Amino acid sequence: MAVADADLSAAPARPRVDWTPYLLVVPVVLFLAVFFLYPMAQAIWLAVDDPAGGLTPAHLRRMAADLYFRPALRFTLVITALAVPLQVALGLAIALLVHARFRGHGAFLYLTALPLGISDLAAGLIWLSIFTERGYLNALLQTLGVIAHPVVFLTLERPGWLLAAIVAAEVWRATAIVMVILLAGLQLIPRDYAETAAVFGAGPWQTLRHVILPLLRPSLQTALIIRTILAFQLFATVVALAGRQVPVLAGEAYFWYALYRSPQVASAYAVLILLLSGAVTWVYLRGLAPRAGEGRA
Amino acid sequence: MRILSACVVLVVASLGAAGAGVSAPAPEVVFTSNQLTPIQEQEWARNTLLARFTQETGIRVQFVTESEGPYVDRLLAEARAGRGTIDVTGTLHGIFPVFIANNAIRDMAEVQRRLDARGDRTFFPDLLRVARMEGIQAFVPWMQATYLIAARKEALRHFPAGRDPMRMTYDDLLQWGENIRQATGQRRVGFPVGPRGLYGRFLHGYAYPSFTGSQVKRFRSPEAVEMWRYLRRLWGVTHPSSFVYEFMSEPLLLGEVWVAWDHTARLIPALRERPDDFVVLPSPAGPRGRSFISVIVGLAIPRTADNPDLGERLIEYLTRPDTQVLTLQGVAFFPVSPEAARATPTGGLKVVADGVAAQAGARDARTALLPVGLGARTGEFVPIYVDTFRRIAIQGEDIPRVLNEQAAKLAELYRATNAPCTPPDPPERPCVPD
Repeated sequence: MAVADADLSAAPARPRVDWTPYLLVVPVVLFLAVFFLYPMAQAIWLAVDDPAGGLTPAHLRRMAADLYFRPALRFTLVITALAVPLQVALGLAIALLVHARFRGHGAFLYLTALPLGISDLAAGLIWLSIFTERGYLNALLQTLGVIAHPVVFLTLERPGWLLAAIVAAEVWRATAIVMVILLAGLQLIPRDYAETAAVFGAGPWQTLRHVILPLLRPSLQTALIIRTILAFQLFATVVALAGRQVPVLAGEAYFWYALYRSPQVASAYAVLILLLSGAVTWVYLRGLAPRAGEGRA
Repeated sequence: MRILSACVVLVVASLGAAGAGVSAPAPEVVFTSNQLTPIQEQEWARNTLLARFTQETGIRVQFVTESEGPYVDRLLAEARAGRGTIDVTGTLHGIFPVFIANNAIRDMAEVQRRLDARGDRTFFPDLLRVARMEGIQAFVPWMQATYLIAARKEALRHFPAGRDPMRMTYDDLLQWGENIRQATGQRRVGFPVGPRGLYGRFLHGYAYPSFTGSQVKRFRSPEAVEMWRYLRRLWGVTHPSSFVYEFMSEPLLLGEVWVAWDHTARLIPALRERPDDFVVLPSPAGPRGRSFISVIVGLAIPRTADNPDLGERLIEYLTRPDTQVLTLQGVAFFPVSPEAARATPTGGLKVVADGVAAQAGARDARTALLPVGLGARTGEFVPIYVDTFRRIAIQGEDIPRVLNEQAAKLAELYRATNAPCTPPDPPERPCVPD
């Protein structure tokens, strides 16, 4: 706008459209169109395209009739419901801790942000080496004399353990991103608010509950949206720890493409993930929208 | 306007610079495959196998290895586009019908004739027979493999008394697992049931033909019901982590598993690391013989190849007896020419070679081939068997009901593709369960 204003003042007699802002946006729009919108449209098209011509629900039906479909949907929702709240709670706790700037908070920040640099498959393999029968956990428990024989944790015969291992790996891997978003949000809140609250006699808990958290709502919203969408795409960690015995939606999309060589059904799964992500984003945007009187920090 | 002209100048200048940089590039051949995909095998292929070819000829090789889906799609996309980058491709014989159906590869008969004329190598005749499809020679045989049982030597102490491990039956295997479980309290038999594990091959190529004499035709026969009862019991002595295993060498080395069935190439890391600790045994025999799968990998030149001549030179190198021995040592795929097969391996490879010989040479041996002719739907074949296993052995569903439902899927797949039966089933078309 500054450029446009400058132009207007320089040539008031001949106002003309300044294309600079549009030109600046063009690369991003092109990028989004080529790498996001086009593949998305193609995926939707593949999921309903009938090779004989026209549209067909056959691929969607095939997906729904698949042996792994219901468990995949169930496990994806269960893992998301368990992991995301844990990640947000932990991420918030760490962010508040770092924001308090205790001695050594810099080193602590680096340590907690470390998993950000590790791919999800690598994270899965790291946790596999902990939980497998000859893994670190069993070795530790045996050395401490807690157990006589190694315990097989990663088996459907112990579904609770299996899910716990997956959630633990997922929380370890992805809490850092929540923490970073929330920390950035915290740093945007002026210290005056907390100080004013203290003047009126608010304790730390009250300050957090009535001042910090409402002001942090936009960051919480972002963190929740990102984490939930990524949880729907969860795949490599689960495959490393549980194979296909704990099927998840993104994994099924991969298996239908790579194992069964059916891009149509794989696309149907992709479209389902897209719809779920869209629905959840809408819920978060509605549910966590800043209310009247609350400024966006 | 000034920005635009600056951009144009920049683009032209960079094009010119790029042009100046390209001064007589070294010839390069692009080689794609869905084999040798594990990282160690890729490393070995690039740094040893193909590096030697480059050293000898000065031709660089760009080796692209991918899982089956993307691999097939890439080649077919090039065929459809009418121009391509792939000069040579190497894959399982069961995938070639897809290429032929899409008119994507050349008839290799001419290349084969020139190779035969060299006089420094021959090919096993039955492999050449398998290479002939739809009136052309689809590929030049490259390597072959099979699946076997590897066991830690200490496990042999628990082998059923009075029985011979080299002539193991399915009952022996179950009893063996049971004996180990009683002695140790652990389930030490292992199968690669992980997502990219090859357990499906065990079901359709080993268990089914050994129990029913068929892969597809007798899918829901009374013998098949018997077999699934057996497999349920076998799962009871199988290591509960089997559904994460994709390569059995790791659990064997860790000692999680004492007796494992897998592809030779996926067992060899364990055998190579500790050849004295393991034995390799033939797959078990059932009421209808000792069935095993023979995996055949072939080389072909796509129709759209840019450098078919360079491709042919690479094929000549890869099928040379010396190279075949190198391949056996590197990745435990077996030679396709008798000249190379005569070279005696040592260490872990000797252990495997003995197992392969005992399996192929058994009196009751029965070879099963991978399905052919399912075209783009080839990938749906194995999951039908693995899903059946999941429903029966893990979810405990009623066997005849599951077999009826799964047989209907198998029948639909074969009817839709009009594919023939593969051995040991009779060569009917379409191959439909009775």
